[in-house]
Amino acid sequence: MIGVVSYLVFFTTVAAILAIAVLGLNLQWGNTGLFNGGVVAFFGAGAYGTLILGGTPQPDHLGGFELPYLLALLGGMAAAGALAWGVGVLTLRLRHDYLAIATFGVAVAFENLMRNAEALGGGAKGLRGFERPLREALGSGFLYNLAFLAFVLVCLVLVWRSLDRLVASPFGRLLRAIREDETAARSLGKSPARIRLTAFVTGSVIMGLSGGLYATFYAFVSPQDVLPVLTFQIWAMLIVGGAGNTRGAVMGAFLIWAAWTASGWGLSRFAPVEAQLYTGSIQYVLIGLVIVGMLLWRPQGLFPERLVVSQSGREGARSTQGERQ
Amino acid sequence: MTRNMQRFMLTAGTALGLTLGASAALAQDCTTRIGAVLPTSVDWGRPIAETAQFVVDQVNESGGVAGCQIEMVLRDTQVDPKVGVDAAKALVDLDGVQVLLGAVSSGVSMPILTSVSVPGNVMQMSCCSSSTAFTALAREGKTSGLWFRTFATTGVQAAVAAKVAQDQGYGSVAILYKNDDWGQDIAKLTAGYLEALGIEVTGSVALNDGQPSYRAEVTSALSGNPEAAYLALYPNEGTAAVREWLSLGGTQNMILANSLKSDDFRQNVGLQYLGNALGTDTASPRVDSADDFVTRYTERFGGAPNGPGLANSYDATMIALLAMEAAGAGATGDQIAAQVGRVTDPAGTPVTADGAGFAQARQVLAAGGSVMYQGATGNVRFDANGDVSAPAVVWKFTEDGSEEVQYLSLTEVDTFMASMN
Repeated sequence: MIGVVSYLVFFTTVAAILAIAVLGLNLQWGNTGLFNGGVVAFFGAGAYGTLILGGTPQPDHLGGFELPYLLALLGGMAAAGALAWGVGVLTLRLRHDYLAIATFGVAVAFENLMRNAEALGGGAKGLRGFERPLREALGSGFLYNLAFLAFVLVCLVLVWRSLDRLVASPFGRLLRAIREDETAARSLGKSPARIRLTAFVTGSVIMGLSGGLYATFYAFVSPQDVLPVLTFQIWAMLIVGGAGNTRGAVMGAFLIWAAWTASGWGLSRFAPVEAQLYTGSIQYVLIGLVIVGMLLWRPQGLFPERLVVSQSGREGARSTQGERQ
Repeated sequence: MTRNMQRFMLTAGTALGLTLGASAALAQDCTTRIGAVLPTSVDWGRPIAETAQFVVDQVNESGGVAGCQIEMVLRDTQVDPKVGVDAAKALVDLDGVQVLLGAVSSGVSMPILTSVSVPGNVMQMSCCSSSTAFTALAREGKTSGLWFRTFATTGVQAAVAAKVAQDQGYGSVAILYKNDDWGQDIAKLTAGYLEALGIEVTGSVALNDGQPSYRAEVTSALSGNPEAAYLALYPNEGTAAVREWLSLGGTQNMILANSLKSDDFRQNVGLQYLGNALGTDTASPRVDSADDFVTRYTERFGGAPNGPGLANSYDATMIALLAMEAAGAGATGDQIAAQVGRVTDPAGTPVTADGAGFAQARQVLAAGGSVMYQGATGNVRFDANGDVSAPAVVWKFTEDGSEEVQYLSLTEVDTFMASMN
C-alpha cells in the first residue's frame, strides 16, 4: 500500500513538472499562436542553469556556485528567459512553420552544445554534484518526495492561476488578437512584434521553471534529458488536453504522462512472456495511436478553448452589433 | 439451528484447511521479483534483455533463488531518462523488487541510481553503463554501496587499444568516437595513453548518431595522414564511417572497440577490408565457463553472442542472483549488495556460470563458504566503487565471427596501465 502511495507521489511530481512546461507552451501556442518547436531548449536552459548555479564545485566543468536553492531556480528561469529573448529577437518575425523549424534548430543546437562543451555542462556525462535542498532535514526517502511534490504543486498552481488571470486581462485579449489577425491588431495601434516577444519570453521562463524543478528532482541532468522527444511529448500533452485552455494543458500533461507510463507498466504486467521483449515497441505504437486518434476525432482537444466574450460584447451590445451587420 | 451451526463449522473448517493448504503450496513455489530496466525498443537493447532472461531461466531450472522462483519484470527505458526512472520507481514501489538490472545508457542509469535505487535502498547492477561519473559518485560515498557494473571501466579498453597501436608499430593514429558519454570518455583516455606511449594523435573526431553521411568527419580525421584509425563506434555509424573512410583512401589499419564486435558490422563492411583490423575487449575466455557461455548462448539463440554488452548482461544477472541466494529469502537491497563480495571472492570455491554452477554455489553458500564466480567476462571482481577491472583480449574478425589474437591477464593489464601513469 505504501508502495502505491509512494509511486503515485513520484508520478504526480513528474506529471506536475511537465504540466508547468505545457502551460508555458500553451501561452505561446494556445494563446499567441507561436509555434515553438524547441521547447526542450528552454526547459534545458532552466535545468542546466539551476544545477550550475546551485551545485557543488566539480573539477571538470563550470558550476559549484552553491547559491541558495530558490536563487538558483530563479537563475535557471532567467537563463531560459535570456535564451528566449535572444532567439525571439532573431526569429519571431518568422511565421508558423518557419518559426517551428528555427526553434527546433535552436533546440538541437542546445543539445549538441551541452553534449560537446564539457567545460560548460559536463559534456555527455552530464551535470552532477547538486545537493537537493533540505535533504539533510528530510532525508532522501518518501518524506522528501512528499515535500518536494508539495513545492512543485505550489509552483504549478501559481503558474496556472497567474496565466488564467493574464489571459483574462486586456493583455490576454491582445494575445488572441495577434493570434487571429496580426494586421488587424496593428491597425489598432498595437505592436505585435513586442507582444509576441513578451509572450515568447514569458512562456519560455515558465518552461525554464519546469526544467529547473525537473533537474532538482533527479539532482542530475545530461544531454539525454534534452532530446527532441521531450518537445514532442510536451506538444502531445497540449494537443490532447486542448490548446488555449489552461485546464486542458494541465489535464493533458497528466493524461499523456499517465498513458505513457501506465502502458509500459500494464504491458510488463499482462503481456505474455514471449511478447515481453517487444513491449517497448508495442508501447510506442500505443502512444502513437492515442495521439493520432485524438487528432482525427477530437482535434480541439479534451478541453477546447472557451471563447471569451469581452466586456464590450455583453448581451445588449452584441445584439446592436448584430443589427448593424 | 444445530444443523446450521454444524454446517457453518464444516464450511469454516474447509475454508481454513484450503487456506492453509494454499499457503503451504505458495511457500513451495513462491516467486521473487527482480526488475530489469533496459532499452528493449532499441535494436541492440533487446538481446541484452534476452540474455538476462536466459540467466533467470537457467537459475529457475536449477531450483531458483533462496527456495523461490525468480520472475524478471522487464521494462523499457526508451533511452529516455524520465521513462526509465519512472519504470524503475514503479518496479521498486509497485512490484517490490530489491534488485534492479540496468540501465544501459549512463544518462538513464544515473538518475535511476540517485533518485530511485539509493533512496529506496535497492541494489542496482548495470551491464553496460560506462561513464566515469559513477566512479566519482561512488568515491563520494553517494551510492551507499548499492551500485555495481560488470562493464569494465573504459580505462582498460583504452589502455589495450594503445598497446595494440604500440605493438603494431603505428606512429600516428586518428580517433573516431561515438559522441556520447562512453565515446567521449574512451576517446579522451585512449588519446592520453597513446601520447604517453609517444604515438601521435592526428585528430579526435566525434560522430553523432543517425547521420546519413560522415564524409565531413571522416575527411577531417584523414587530414592528418594517420597510419591507423581507432574506432570507438557502434555498428550502425561504424559501418557508415568505415565505408567512407575506406572510399576516401583511409588506411585499413584499424583498432576497434568491443562495441564493433558485431556480425552486422563485419558483413556490412566486408571481411576483405577488415584484414588489418584488431579489436579490443575486456572479456576473458581463459576459464571454461566463458567458453561454456558461448556454447550455451549459441544453443539457445542459434548464433554466437556477437553484440555489445551480452556477456556483461549475463554476468550482471548471474551475480545479482547469486548475491540474492547468499543473502537469503526476504533480504533487502543493501543486504543483497553486501553479499556481492562473497560471491565474487577470489579465494572462494570456483563456480561456473550456469545452472549447475548455481546449484553448487547454493550448497557452498548454505555451508557458510564463499564462491568465486567464473563468468562470461572472466573472474569478475568488483572494487570498492562497484567497478570491475578485467583481463583483456585482442581479437580479429574471421569468416564466421571473431577470434582471439592475444590474451592479457589481469596482472598484465594492471602492470601495463601502471607503467603509463
